[in-house]
Amino acid sequence: MKSTIAARGVEKSFGRRPVLRGVDLEVPAGALVAVVGENGAGKSTLLKILAGTLAADAGGVELHGTLGYCPQEPVLNGALTVGQHLRYFAAAYRLSSLDRAEELLDALHFGGYRDRPVEELSGGTRQKLNLTLALVHDPAVLLLDEPYQGFDWETYLRFWELVDGLRERGRSVVVITHLVFEEERFDRLYRLREGRIDA
Amino acid sequence: MPERPLARQFPTALVFALRNQARNRLAWILLAAFVPAWYGLMAALIPHDPLTYRLFSSGRLLRVDGRHLGLVTAGMNSLTLIVGFAVFAAIRRALPLDRRLVFAGYRQSLLVGAKALATAVVAVVVALYATVVLLAFWRPAAAGFAAVFAAFALMALEYGALGLLLGVLVKGDLEGFFLIIMGGLTDTFLQNPVGNPVANKPILQWFPSFGPMQFAGGGAFGGGPSWLGLGLGLAWAAAFAALALVVFQRRTRSRRHAHTSAGEPSSASRLTSAA
Repeated sequence: MKSTIAARGVEKSFGRRPVLRGVDLEVPAGALVAVVGENGAGKSTLLKILAGTLAADAGGVELHGTLGYCPQEPVLNGALTVGQHLRYFAAAYRLSSLDRAEELLDALHFGGYRDRPVEELSGGTRQKLNLTLALVHDPAVLLLDEPYQGFDWETYLRFWELVDGLRERGRSVVVITHLVFEEERFDRLYRLREGRIDA
Repeated sequence: MPERPLARQFPTALVFALRNQARNRLAWILLAAFVPAWYGLMAALIPHDPLTYRLFSSGRLLRVDGRHLGLVTAGMNSLTLIVGFAVFAAIRRALPLDRRLVFAGYRQSLLVGAKALATAVVAVVVALYATVVLLAFWRPAAAGFAAVFAAFALMALEYGALGLLLGVLVKGDLEGFFLIIMGGLTDTFLQNPVGNPVANKPILQWFPSFGPMQFAGGGAFGGGPSWLGLGLGLAWAAAFAALALVVFQRRTRSRRHAHTSAGEPSSASRLTSAA
Protein backbone atom coordinates (compact mmCIF):
# COMPACT_ATOMS: atom_id res chain seq x y z
CA MET A 1 0.00 0.00 0.00
CA LYS A 2 1.19 3.50 -0.81
CA SER A 3 2.70 5.37 2.12
CA THR A 4 1.51 8.83 3.11
CA ILE A 5 4.62 9.73 5.07
CA ALA A 6 7.99 8.00 5.28
CA ALA A 7 11.29 8.73 7.00
CA ARG A 8 14.58 7.40 5.68
CA GLY A 9 17.82 7.36 7.62
CA VAL A 10 16.88 10.36 9.78
CA GLU A 11 19.68 11.54 12.06
CA LYS A 12 19.67 14.36 14.56
CA SER A 13 22.09 15.50 17.26
CA PHE A 14 21.83 18.29 19.79
CA GLY A 15 25.37 19.51 20.31
CA ARG A 16 27.44 16.36 20.69
CA ARG A 17 24.53 14.29 21.89
CA PRO A 18 23.04 12.13 19.13
CA VAL A 19 19.28 11.75 19.56
CA LEU A 20 18.30 9.98 16.34
CA ARG A 21 20.85 7.65 14.71
CA GLY A 22 19.24 6.70 11.41
CA VAL A 23 15.51 6.22 11.77
CA ASP A 24 13.42 4.56 9.04
CA LEU A 25 9.66 4.63 9.28
CA GLU A 26 6.77 4.21 6.88
CA VAL A 27 3.09 4.98 7.33
CA PRO A 28 0.67 3.41 4.81
CA ALA A 29 -2.55 5.23 3.90
CA GLY A 30 -5.31 4.55 6.40
CA ALA A 31 -2.91 3.08 8.96
CA LEU A 32 -2.67 3.83 12.65
CA VAL A 33 0.97 3.76 13.70
CA ALA A 34 2.50 4.17 17.14
CA VAL A 35 6.02 5.28 17.94
CA VAL A 36 6.80 4.29 21.51
CA GLY A 37 9.82 4.80 23.66
CA GLU A 38 10.94 5.88 27.09
CA ASN A 39 11.28 9.50 28.14
CA GLY A 40 14.17 11.07 26.27
CA ALA A 41 14.25 8.38 23.56
CA GLY A 42 13.86 11.05 20.86
CA LYS A 43 10.16 10.54 20.08
CA SER A 44 9.21 14.21 20.02
CA THR A 45 12.34 15.07 18.02
CA LEU A 46 11.35 12.47 15.44
CA LEU A 47 7.80 13.81 15.27
CA LYS A 48 9.02 17.40 14.84
CA ILE A 49 11.23 16.27 11.97
CA LEU A 50 8.31 14.39 10.42
CA ALA A 51 6.17 17.50 10.85
CA GLY A 52 8.82 19.77 9.35
CA THR A 53 9.20 22.06 12.35
CA LEU A 54 12.76 20.79 12.97
CA ALA A 55 15.48 20.08 10.40
CA ALA A 56 17.22 16.69 10.33
CA ASP A 57 21.04 16.51 10.21
CA ALA A 58 20.86 13.69 7.69
CA GLY A 59 18.23 11.58 5.99
CA GLY A 60 14.88 12.65 4.62
CA VAL A 61 11.12 12.65 5.01
CA GLU A 62 8.68 12.19 2.19
CA LEU A 63 5.10 13.36 2.54
CA HIS A 64 2.21 12.70 0.18
CA GLY A 65 -0.80 14.91 0.84
CA THR A 66 -1.64 17.33 3.61
CA LEU A 67 -0.37 17.13 7.15
CA GLY A 68 -1.81 17.91 10.57
CA TYR A 69 0.51 18.20 13.56
CA CYS A 70 -0.65 18.24 17.17
CA PRO A 71 2.22 19.22 19.52
CA GLN A 72 2.47 17.71 23.00
CA GLU A 73 1.94 21.01 24.85
CA PRO A 74 -1.11 22.90 23.57
CA VAL A 75 0.08 25.80 21.41
CA LEU A 76 -2.72 28.34 21.76
CA ASN A 77 -3.27 32.01 22.57
CA GLY A 78 -4.87 32.49 25.99
CA ALA A 79 -6.53 35.76 24.96
CA LEU A 80 -8.46 34.24 22.04
CA THR A 81 -11.64 32.18 22.33
CA VAL A 82 -12.10 28.67 20.94
CA GLY A 83 -14.16 30.09 18.04
CA GLN A 84 -11.50 32.69 17.25
CA HIS A 85 -8.82 30.00 17.12
CA LEU A 86 -10.97 28.09 14.64
CA ARG A 87 -11.44 31.16 12.43
CA TYR A 88 -7.72 31.91 12.60
CA PHE A 89 -6.83 28.39 11.46
CA ALA A 90 -9.56 28.37 8.81
CA ALA A 91 -7.77 31.41 7.34
CA ALA A 92 -4.40 29.65 7.66
CA TYR A 93 -5.61 26.51 5.89
CA ARG A 94 -7.64 28.69 3.48
CA LEU A 95 -10.91 26.92 4.22
CA SER A 96 -14.21 28.37 3.09
CA SER A 97 -16.27 26.84 5.87
CA LEU A 98 -15.94 25.69 9.45
CA ASP A 99 -18.12 22.61 8.93
CA ARG A 100 -15.32 20.18 9.77
CA ALA A 101 -14.45 22.22 12.87
CA GLU A 102 -18.09 22.04 14.01
CA GLU A 103 -18.04 18.25 13.55
CA LEU A 104 -14.90 18.05 15.68
CA LEU A 105 -16.38 20.25 18.42
CA ASP A 106 -19.34 17.86 18.54
CA ALA A 107 -17.20 14.73 18.36
CA LEU A 108 -15.02 15.88 21.26
CA HIS A 109 -17.95 17.45 23.16
CA PHE A 110 -16.65 20.95 23.71
CA GLY A 111 -18.95 23.05 21.50
CA GLY A 112 -20.22 24.78 24.67
CA TYR A 113 -16.84 26.44 25.13
CA ARG A 114 -16.87 28.17 21.72
CA ASP A 115 -17.02 31.69 23.17
CA ARG A 116 -14.69 31.14 26.11
CA PRO A 117 -11.14 32.49 26.05
CA VAL A 118 -8.53 29.75 26.20
CA GLU A 119 -7.05 31.09 29.46
CA GLU A 120 -10.32 30.12 31.20
CA LEU A 121 -10.31 26.52 29.92
CA SER A 122 -9.17 23.37 31.74
CA GLY A 123 -6.08 21.49 30.56
CA GLY A 124 -8.21 18.75 28.99
CA THR A 125 -10.33 21.22 27.00
CA ARG A 126 -7.18 23.01 25.79
CA GLN A 127 -5.87 19.67 24.61
CA LYS A 128 -9.12 19.08 22.70
CA LEU A 129 -8.71 22.42 20.95
CA ASN A 130 -5.03 21.66 20.31
CA LEU A 131 -6.10 18.44 18.57
CA THR A 132 -8.95 20.12 16.68
CA LEU A 133 -6.60 22.72 15.19
CA ALA A 134 -4.51 19.93 13.68
CA LEU A 135 -7.61 18.36 12.12
CA VAL A 136 -9.84 21.16 10.76
CA HIS A 137 -8.41 20.86 7.24
CA ASP A 138 -8.97 17.08 7.17
CA PRO A 139 -5.29 16.19 6.58
CA ALA A 140 -4.09 13.01 4.88
CA VAL A 141 -1.64 12.40 7.75
CA LEU A 142 -2.13 13.32 11.37
CA LEU A 143 0.88 13.44 13.70
CA LEU A 144 -0.01 13.33 17.40
CA ASP A 145 2.48 13.82 20.24
CA GLU A 146 1.12 12.24 23.45
CA PRO A 147 -2.40 13.22 22.38
CA TYR A 148 -4.49 11.91 25.24
CA GLN A 149 -2.62 13.44 28.16
CA GLY A 150 -5.17 15.26 30.29
CA PHE A 151 -8.16 13.50 28.73
CA ASP A 152 -10.70 11.90 31.05
CA TRP A 153 -11.89 8.37 30.27
CA GLU A 154 -14.92 9.47 28.25
CA THR A 155 -12.82 11.84 26.13
CA TYR A 156 -10.21 9.10 25.67
CA LEU A 157 -12.92 6.87 24.18
CA ARG A 158 -14.22 9.72 21.99
CA PHE A 159 -10.68 10.30 20.79
CA TRP A 160 -10.43 6.70 19.58
CA GLU A 161 -13.82 6.94 17.87
CA LEU A 162 -12.50 10.00 16.03
CA VAL A 163 -9.31 8.16 15.03
CA ASP A 164 -11.34 5.18 13.77
CA GLY A 165 -13.42 7.56 11.65
CA LEU A 166 -10.24 9.04 10.14
CA ARG A 167 -8.87 5.61 9.23
CA GLU A 168 -12.12 4.58 7.61
CA ARG A 169 -11.71 7.55 5.29
CA GLY A 170 -8.16 6.53 4.40
CA ARG A 171 -6.38 9.03 6.65
CA SER A 172 -3.16 7.98 8.39
CA VAL A 173 -2.51 8.63 12.05
CA VAL A 174 0.85 8.55 13.83
CA VAL A 175 0.71 8.56 17.62
CA ILE A 176 3.81 9.15 19.72
CA THR A 177 3.55 7.99 23.28
CA HIS A 178 5.63 6.66 26.15
CA LEU A 179 2.85 4.29 27.17
CA VAL A 180 0.74 2.04 24.99
CA PHE A 181 -2.30 0.69 26.82
CA GLU A 182 -3.91 -1.14 23.93
CA GLU A 183 -1.37 -2.42 21.44
CA GLU A 184 -4.06 -4.20 19.41
CA ARG A 185 -5.46 -0.83 18.29
CA PHE A 186 -2.39 -0.12 16.18
CA ASP A 187 -1.52 -1.43 12.73
CA ARG A 188 2.19 -0.90 13.33
CA LEU A 189 4.28 -0.27 16.40
CA TYR A 190 7.74 1.27 16.14
CA ARG A 191 9.88 1.13 19.27
CA LEU A 192 12.42 3.89 19.51
CA ARG A 193 15.44 2.97 21.62
CA GLU A 194 18.70 4.88 21.82
CA GLY A 195 17.94 6.77 18.65
CA ARG A 196 17.09 3.73 16.54
CA ILE A 197 13.91 1.89 15.67
CA ASP A 198 13.62 -1.71 16.94
CA ALA A 199 11.48 -3.61 14.47
CA MET B 1 -12.98 21.55 0.33
CA PRO B 2 -13.55 24.88 -1.47
CA GLU B 3 -10.88 27.42 -0.69
CA ARG B 4 -11.14 30.99 0.40
CA PRO B 5 -8.77 33.46 -1.19
CA LEU B 6 -5.47 34.15 0.45
CA ALA B 7 -6.64 37.74 0.94
CA ARG B 8 -8.79 36.62 3.92
CA GLN B 9 -5.61 36.06 5.90
CA PHE B 10 -4.72 39.72 6.28
CA PRO B 11 -8.01 41.06 7.77
CA THR B 12 -8.30 38.02 10.05
CA ALA B 13 -4.77 38.53 11.39
CA LEU B 14 -5.37 42.28 11.76
CA VAL B 15 -8.50 41.81 13.88
CA PHE B 16 -6.77 39.32 16.18
CA ALA B 17 -3.61 41.44 16.44
CA LEU B 18 -5.68 44.47 17.53
CA ARG B 19 -7.61 42.31 19.97
CA ASN B 20 -4.37 41.03 21.46
CA GLN B 21 -3.11 44.58 21.94
CA ALA B 22 -6.36 45.74 23.51
CA ARG B 23 -6.33 42.97 26.11
CA ASN B 24 -3.22 44.27 27.86
CA ARG B 25 -4.69 45.49 31.18
CA LEU B 26 -1.42 46.84 32.52
CA ALA B 27 -1.03 49.05 29.43
CA TRP B 28 -4.54 50.48 30.01
CA ILE B 29 -3.69 51.23 33.65
CA LEU B 30 -0.41 52.89 32.63
CA LEU B 31 -2.29 55.02 30.10
CA ALA B 32 -4.92 56.09 32.60
CA ALA B 33 -2.60 56.73 35.55
CA PHE B 34 1.00 57.08 34.44
CA VAL B 35 0.56 59.55 31.58
CA PRO B 36 -1.28 62.27 33.57
CA ALA B 37 0.86 61.61 36.68
CA TRP B 38 4.09 62.00 34.69
CA TYR B 39 2.86 65.24 33.10
CA GLY B 40 1.77 66.49 36.52
CA LEU B 41 5.16 65.75 38.04
CA MET B 42 6.98 67.54 35.22
CA ALA B 43 4.66 70.55 35.45
CA ALA B 44 5.24 70.71 39.21
CA LEU B 45 9.04 70.33 39.05
CA ILE B 46 10.15 72.29 35.99
CA PRO B 47 9.88 76.10 36.09
CA HIS B 48 8.93 78.30 33.11
CA ASP B 49 12.58 79.38 32.69
CA PRO B 50 13.64 79.94 29.07
CA LEU B 51 15.89 77.32 27.49
CA THR B 52 17.87 77.17 24.28
CA TYR B 53 16.76 74.47 21.88
CA ARG B 54 18.61 73.80 18.63
CA LEU B 55 16.63 73.11 15.47
CA PHE B 56 19.08 71.13 13.39
CA SER B 57 17.27 71.37 10.04
CA SER B 58 17.71 75.17 9.92
CA GLY B 59 20.48 75.58 12.45
CA ARG B 60 18.31 78.02 14.42
CA LEU B 61 18.50 78.30 18.18
CA LEU B 62 15.02 78.66 19.67
CA ARG B 63 14.20 80.23 23.04
CA VAL B 64 11.61 77.92 24.53
CA ASP B 65 9.66 77.64 27.78
CA GLY B 66 11.50 74.98 29.81
CA ARG B 67 8.30 73.58 31.33
CA HIS B 68 6.61 73.21 27.96
CA LEU B 69 9.62 71.43 26.51
CA GLY B 70 9.77 69.24 29.63
CA LEU B 71 6.11 68.30 29.13
CA VAL B 72 6.71 67.33 25.50
CA THR B 73 9.67 65.17 26.58
CA ALA B 74 7.57 63.60 29.34
CA GLY B 75 4.86 62.70 26.81
CA MET B 76 7.44 61.17 24.48
CA ASN B 77 8.97 59.27 27.37
CA SER B 78 5.67 57.76 28.49
CA LEU B 79 4.86 56.79 24.88
CA THR B 80 8.15 54.92 24.47
CA LEU B 81 7.44 52.91 27.61
CA ILE B 82 3.74 52.19 27.12
CA VAL B 83 3.63 51.54 23.38
CA GLY B 84 6.94 49.67 23.39
CA PHE B 85 5.86 47.50 26.31
CA ALA B 86 2.31 46.82 25.03
CA VAL B 87 3.44 45.85 21.54
CA PHE B 88 6.35 43.76 22.82
CA ALA B 89 4.13 41.85 25.26
CA ALA B 90 1.42 41.15 22.68
CA ILE B 91 3.87 40.01 20.00
CA ARG B 92 5.77 37.73 22.35
CA ARG B 93 2.63 36.16 23.77
CA ALA B 94 1.35 35.35 20.29
CA LEU B 95 4.61 34.02 18.84
CA PRO B 96 4.19 30.26 19.52
CA LEU B 97 0.73 30.30 17.94
CA ASP B 98 2.03 32.40 15.04
CA ARG B 99 4.63 29.74 14.35
CA ARG B 100 1.88 27.15 14.28
CA LEU B 101 -0.28 29.33 12.00
CA VAL B 102 2.58 29.76 9.54
CA PHE B 103 3.14 26.04 9.59
CA ALA B 104 -0.57 25.58 8.83
CA GLY B 105 -0.26 27.81 5.78
CA TYR B 106 -0.46 31.41 6.95
CA ARG B 107 1.72 33.61 4.81
CA GLN B 108 4.40 35.12 7.05
CA SER B 109 4.38 38.51 5.33
CA LEU B 110 0.60 38.84 5.79
CA LEU B 111 0.79 37.83 9.44
CA VAL B 112 3.61 40.21 10.31
CA GLY B 113 2.17 42.92 8.04
CA ALA B 114 -1.11 42.76 9.95
CA LYS B 115 0.82 43.04 13.21
CA ALA B 116 2.72 46.05 11.91
CA LEU B 117 -0.54 47.77 10.88
CA ALA B 118 -2.10 46.97 14.26
CA THR B 119 1.00 48.46 15.90
CA ALA B 120 0.60 51.63 13.82
CA VAL B 121 -3.07 51.94 14.78
CA VAL B 122 -2.24 51.49 18.48
CA ALA B 123 0.62 54.01 18.19
CA VAL B 124 -1.53 56.72 16.63
CA VAL B 125 -4.46 56.23 19.04
CA VAL B 126 -2.21 56.26 22.11
CA ALA B 127 -0.34 59.30 20.77
CA LEU B 128 -3.64 61.16 20.30
CA TYR B 129 -4.61 60.32 23.88
CA ALA B 130 -1.25 61.53 25.23
CA THR B 131 -1.61 64.79 23.26
CA VAL B 132 -5.14 65.40 24.53
CA VAL B 133 -4.07 64.79 28.15
CA LEU B 134 -1.23 67.28 27.60
CA LEU B 135 -3.86 70.00 27.09
CA ALA B 136 -4.63 69.87 30.80
CA PHE B 137 -1.11 71.20 31.48
CA TRP B 138 -0.33 73.34 28.45
CA ARG B 139 -2.50 74.84 25.69
CA PRO B 140 -0.36 75.32 22.57
CA ALA B 141 -1.88 76.96 19.45
CA ALA B 142 -3.65 74.68 16.97
CA ALA B 143 -0.55 74.31 14.78
CA GLY B 144 1.54 73.50 17.86
CA PHE B 145 -1.00 70.93 19.00
CA ALA B 146 -0.94 69.30 15.56
CA ALA B 147 2.88 69.25 15.55
CA VAL B 148 3.04 67.69 19.01
CA PHE B 149 0.45 65.07 18.04
CA ALA B 150 2.37 64.21 14.87
CA ALA B 151 5.64 64.01 16.81
CA PHE B 152 4.03 61.84 19.50
CA ALA B 153 2.61 59.55 16.80
CA LEU B 154 6.04 59.34 15.20
CA MET B 155 7.67 58.47 18.52
CA ALA B 156 5.00 55.87 19.29
CA LEU B 157 5.49 54.36 15.83
CA GLU B 158 9.23 54.06 16.40
CA TYR B 159 8.89 52.37 19.77
CA GLY B 160 5.94 50.27 18.61
CA ALA B 161 8.14 49.00 15.78
CA LEU B 162 10.96 48.40 18.30
CA GLY B 163 8.49 46.42 20.45
CA LEU B 164 7.59 44.41 17.35
CA LEU B 165 11.27 43.69 16.68
CA LEU B 166 12.13 42.77 20.27
CA GLY B 167 8.94 40.69 20.50
CA VAL B 168 10.12 38.37 17.74
CA LEU B 169 13.82 38.60 18.65
CA VAL B 170 14.57 38.30 22.36
CA LYS B 171 14.31 35.05 24.29
CA GLY B 172 12.90 36.28 27.59
CA ASP B 173 10.38 38.86 28.82
CA LEU B 174 12.89 40.56 31.10
CA GLU B 175 15.42 41.31 28.35
CA GLY B 176 12.71 42.89 26.24
CA PHE B 177 11.28 45.03 29.03
CA PHE B 178 14.74 46.11 30.12
CA LEU B 179 15.77 47.12 26.59
CA ILE B 180 12.57 49.10 26.04
CA ILE B 181 12.66 50.87 29.41
CA MET B 182 16.37 51.71 29.38
CA GLY B 183 16.37 52.55 25.68
CA GLY B 184 13.36 54.84 25.97
CA LEU B 185 14.60 56.59 29.12
CA THR B 186 18.10 57.21 27.78
CA ASP B 187 16.89 58.23 24.36
CA THR B 188 14.34 60.82 25.52
CA PHE B 189 16.51 62.16 28.35
CA LEU B 190 19.34 62.97 25.96
CA GLN B 191 17.11 65.08 23.72
CA ASN B 192 15.91 67.28 26.55
CA PRO B 193 17.98 70.37 27.39
CA VAL B 194 16.47 70.56 30.89
CA GLY B 195 19.49 69.81 33.06
CA ASN B 196 21.24 67.88 30.29
CA PRO B 197 24.54 69.25 28.99
CA VAL B 198 24.56 66.88 25.97
CA ALA B 199 21.35 68.32 24.51
CA ASN B 200 21.74 70.30 21.29
CA LYS B 201 24.90 68.37 20.35
CA PRO B 202 25.11 66.81 16.87
CA ILE B 203 25.53 63.28 18.29
CA LEU B 204 21.82 63.34 19.17
CA GLN B 205 20.98 62.92 15.52
CA TRP B 206 21.85 59.24 15.81
CA PHE B 207 19.13 58.48 18.36
CA PRO B 208 15.56 57.40 17.51
CA SER B 209 13.85 60.21 19.44
CA PHE B 210 15.81 62.91 17.58
CA GLY B 211 13.35 63.05 14.66
CA PRO B 212 10.16 63.31 16.72
CA MET B 213 11.73 65.84 19.14
CA GLN B 214 12.91 68.04 16.29
CA PHE B 215 9.49 67.86 14.66
CA ALA B 216 7.74 68.76 17.91
CA GLY B 217 10.27 71.48 18.75
CA GLY B 218 10.04 73.19 15.38
CA GLY B 219 6.28 72.92 15.13
CA ALA B 220 5.33 73.83 18.67
CA PHE B 221 7.94 76.50 19.54
CA GLY B 222 8.29 78.35 16.21
CA GLY B 223 10.70 77.76 13.38
CA GLY B 224 8.36 75.54 11.37
CA PRO B 225 8.07 71.76 11.35
CA SER B 226 11.25 69.83 10.71
CA TRP B 227 10.57 67.60 7.71
CA LEU B 228 14.01 66.09 8.18
CA GLY B 229 12.89 65.06 11.67
CA LEU B 230 9.72 63.51 10.27
CA GLY B 231 11.70 61.57 7.66
CA LEU B 232 14.23 60.33 10.22
CA GLY B 233 11.48 59.18 12.57
CA LEU B 234 9.70 57.28 9.79
CA ALA B 235 13.01 55.75 8.69
CA TRP B 236 13.69 54.44 12.21
CA ALA B 237 10.18 52.95 12.43
CA ALA B 238 10.49 51.39 8.97
CA ALA B 239 13.94 49.96 9.78
CA PHE B 240 12.74 48.36 13.04
CA ALA B 241 9.67 46.93 11.28
CA ALA B 242 11.71 45.58 8.35
CA LEU B 243 14.15 43.90 10.74
CA ALA B 244 11.19 42.44 12.64
CA LEU B 245 9.88 40.99 9.37
CA VAL B 246 13.24 39.34 8.60
CA VAL B 247 13.58 37.87 12.10
CA PHE B 248 9.94 36.72 12.06
CA GLN B 249 10.48 35.00 8.69
CA ARG B 250 13.50 33.16 10.07
CA ARG B 251 11.91 32.16 13.36
CA THR B 252 8.67 30.83 11.90
CA ARG B 253 9.92 29.11 8.76
CA SER B 254 9.05 25.52 8.03
CA ARG B 255 11.93 23.07 7.72
CA ARG B 256 10.13 21.04 5.12
CA HIS B 257 11.91 21.50 1.83
CA ALA B 258 8.78 22.07 -0.22
CA HIS B 259 6.81 24.76 -1.94
CA THR B 260 3.59 23.69 -0.26
CA SER B 261 2.29 24.28 3.22
CA ALA B 262 0.64 21.81 5.55
CA GLY B 263 -2.75 23.10 4.52
CA GLU B 264 -2.32 22.78 0.81
CA PRO B 265 -2.74 19.64 -1.19
CA SER B 266 0.58 18.49 -2.52
CA SER B 267 1.75 15.57 -4.55
CA ALA B 268 4.88 15.04 -2.51
CA SER B 269 7.12 17.18 -0.41
CA ARG B 270 10.48 16.14 0.77
CA LEU B 271 12.81 17.00 3.55
CA THR B 272 16.39 16.17 2.93
CA SER B 273 19.20 16.71 5.35
CA ALA B 274 19.66 20.29 6.46
CA ALA B 275 21.92 22.46 4.36
